[in-house]
Amino acid sequence: MTGQEQRTGGYTENIVVAETDLTLIGRFRDEPAPLLPILHAFHNRDGFIGSEAIEAIAKELRIPLADLYGTVTFYHHFARAEGGLQRPRVCTGPVCRQRGALEIVESLEGAEEMPCAGRCDDPVPLLIGHETFVVSAPLHTLQRRISSPLPVPNPGGREECVFAEIRAPERDSLDGYRRSGGYDALTQAVQGQSPTDVIDVLKESKLAGRGGAGFPTGMKWQFVREAPGEPKSIVCNADEGEPGCFKDRALMDHDPFAVIEGMTLAGYATGADRGFLYLRYEYPETNTRLEEAISAAEEAGLLGENILGSGFTFRLYLRRGAGAYICGEEGSLLNSLEGKHPFPRNRPPFPTTHGFENLPTAVNNVETLCAVPQILRRGAEWYQKLGLGDHAGTKLISLSGDVQRPGNYEVPFGLPLRTLLHDWAGGPLPGRSFQAASMAGLSGGFLASEALESVTLDEPSIRGAGSMLGAGGVIVFDDSRDIVDAARQAMAFFAHESCGKCFPCRIGTQRLLERLSGGGPGELDAWRREISDIGDVLELSACGLGVAAGFVSDSLLRNFPEQVEAFRG
Amino acid sequence: MAAVQHVSIREFGWLCSPSLSGEVSQPQLQQIMASVNQSQQQPKITLDGEQMEFSPGETVYEVATRAGKTVPTLCYDPRLEAFGSCRLCVVEVAGQRTPVASCTTQAEDGMEVTTASAKVEGLRRTLLELVASENREVAVDALRGVASQELGTLVEQYDAGCGRFAGAQSGASRPDDPNPFILRDYDLCISCYRCVRVCAEQEGDYAISIANRGFATQITVEFGGHLQDSACTFCGQCVQTCPTGALADKKALRFAGDGTLNGGS
Repeated sequence: MTGQEQRTGGYTENIVVAETDLTLIGRFRDEPAPLLPILHAFHNRDGFIGSEAIEAIAKELRIPLADLYGTVTFYHHFARAEGGLQRPRVCTGPVCRQRGALEIVESLEGAEEMPCAGRCDDPVPLLIGHETFVVSAPLHTLQRRISSPLPVPNPGGREECVFAEIRAPERDSLDGYRRSGGYDALTQAVQGQSPTDVIDVLKESKLAGRGGAGFPTGMKWQFVREAPGEPKSIVCNADEGEPGCFKDRALMDHDPFAVIEGMTLAGYATGADRGFLYLRYEYPETNTRLEEAISAAEEAGLLGENILGSGFTFRLYLRRGAGAYICGEEGSLLNSLEGKHPFPRNRPPFPTTHGFENLPTAVNNVETLCAVPQILRRGAEWYQKLGLGDHAGTKLISLSGDVQRPGNYEVPFGLPLRTLLHDWAGGPLPGRSFQAASMAGLSGGFLASEALESVTLDEPSIRGAGSMLGAGGVIVFDDSRDIVDAARQAMAFFAHESCGKCFPCRIGTQRLLERLSGGGPGELDAWRREISDIGDVLELSACGLGVAAGFVSDSLLRNFPEQVEAFRG
Repeated sequence: MAAVQHVSIREFGWLCSPSLSGEVSQPQLQQIMASVNQSQQQPKITLDGEQMEFSPGETVYEVATRAGKTVPTLCYDPRLEAFGSCRLCVVEVAGQRTPVASCTTQAEDGMEVTTASAKVEGLRRTLLELVASENREVAVDALRGVASQELGTLVEQYDAGCGRFAGAQSGASRPDDPNPFILRDYDLCISCYRCVRVCAEQEGDYAISIANRGFATQITVEFGGHLQDSACTFCGQCVQTCPTGALADKKALRFAGDGTLNGGS
């Protein structure tokens, strides 16, 4: 960092922008949220983002040069050195580590590590340019992957919501989608339902945010509808960066029109006329598929001006992230869309009143939006009753790690976790037993084997066990795994992804990583006290990342005291 | 009693029609006073057991400092928009499970706030221990800048310099920067971004920014260069707001070095 690049500047008026660069910038400069697509255009053309590119963009978009430089360095997938885009990047997330990812990195020339790339059901992914390959250790052949595994039919025979039609023939094409009930909900809404009718159905269904926060969707849409200020926006959070979470990828790969229809319905209900789908960098094939789906919907009059002849207008913009887990936090995501440094925002105010460009905005997860058309087609009561007992609806669980049949499963809320692990997914690998599982991807920390037998898949039960369900990633670790090392890896992830805004997270994740790597006081009690004291201040973090890091270290001390003693012994 | 009423009616004279301002009967006066009280009633919070009035829009931190409370902060500068990053100003609010940052929390009528419970003071101490652990040193020459003693003072006050949380240090100093005005001693930086924010919000220069993420965060100009090649005007606002002496007045330090104002320049 301290090395100075040979550029002069500060004053962008002295910068001369090449004609070819102007053309590249011109493609997006009149669209909303232009910075990310322009940066990607240069990254794709040059194979890296050079200083001249940053100067040209800063001048044309009128962004302070220092700001833009700092913002580009925030995203780990933007290469700053020539040839960087084509360097192989190997996923070294928790599941891929179990599958020998580090060996692959070592055996592949010039390879770099990347945080979990969301293919824990099909490890080990490798990104070269904008192509995904899958390799297994020791390195043999690279297999190109243009799609991700289709979820298997529900093993428990339970009725599904978001996966209900996903296996229908050609569901990923507009014709196939419409043949299996697609766009029925939108047609019905624009022709016969008022926006408040749509909101009422969602409220009655008890659908809540499936990205982890669980805020009631109908209420959020009502807030946006009633908030003053225009234009309003819908933002689909498809920045699925949580290690061990790959449900949104499956939905977008196999059911891309469902998320588009969900966003369009959100626009209709809230009065928003523009939407942004913020997709994580690591899903390049999904990006292509969504681009195609958006074009197809526009051509068919299902997106854009005067949708289905109703006079309702909704434009959808696909925006690709560039490698930053924090951009899954809604404030960071909005700042990233706006071209600002992607720090989280202080709340309140909330995005419902002060979202994209400080205007009313509904930020919803992919899974939430995909549920909306199904609920509107089949009714609120239908959806509510999919849950077990008092629980309403369903949740996608991304199950991975040391289990016979990893994959995405749609479970009714309230399903015992043991039913999922043993009956649906086939239990542990031969000769092994479960030692632990991480919840909410990594953010919920680790539950020990006893809790895995007793909790049910719903927030109150898992919170009661000191963890959280969150976005629904569950990574299983069997008795062959070193759980302290798993916690160290998790902390390395949070330290790597900490944005650096708030003190407890920026310093605390680093100190925890050092301690879980063998550093810190030699005496066990003092070591433990440092870890638990850091956990206490992590709760003061401004966003969920810091809080999650504390879940990891606290759950290790609480649920695995013997392993901790053996580590420090 | 009558005197109080007399003062009140004069004070709120704008509510009364000219005819009323002369002769007012007792029931009329009571009616007027009731409506005055209703329209003028200030919202209140309870601050460490005492009622404090506030104006809508004020933050808990602003109300608390107005009441004479000392709430520690490192990222706060009254000239800047509240940022909420150091988390030292956390206070307990009745009904909230975890303490909240008072600088970014707006006061609400009826809020019950405890500014310095044993729990909060303990958390502040841990935070200060963490901050102290990332720097080369905490005690710096006061000539570095007017705010340069903020971290050292708090660390001493909270007895947070006992060496816990030892580990890697953050920030890299720029002894290579040849400008004659501003010392960029980022080994002492705690990433409060007051310099970046004052440069943008007060000066409108946007000369410095934040590179990288997390513990690798570094205050920088474009492309990691020198201040004189950037939009920096050497106004010195960043030095003035820096709470650790990471940014310092080179000229003052030369004075400290040999005892003459112009020595070494």
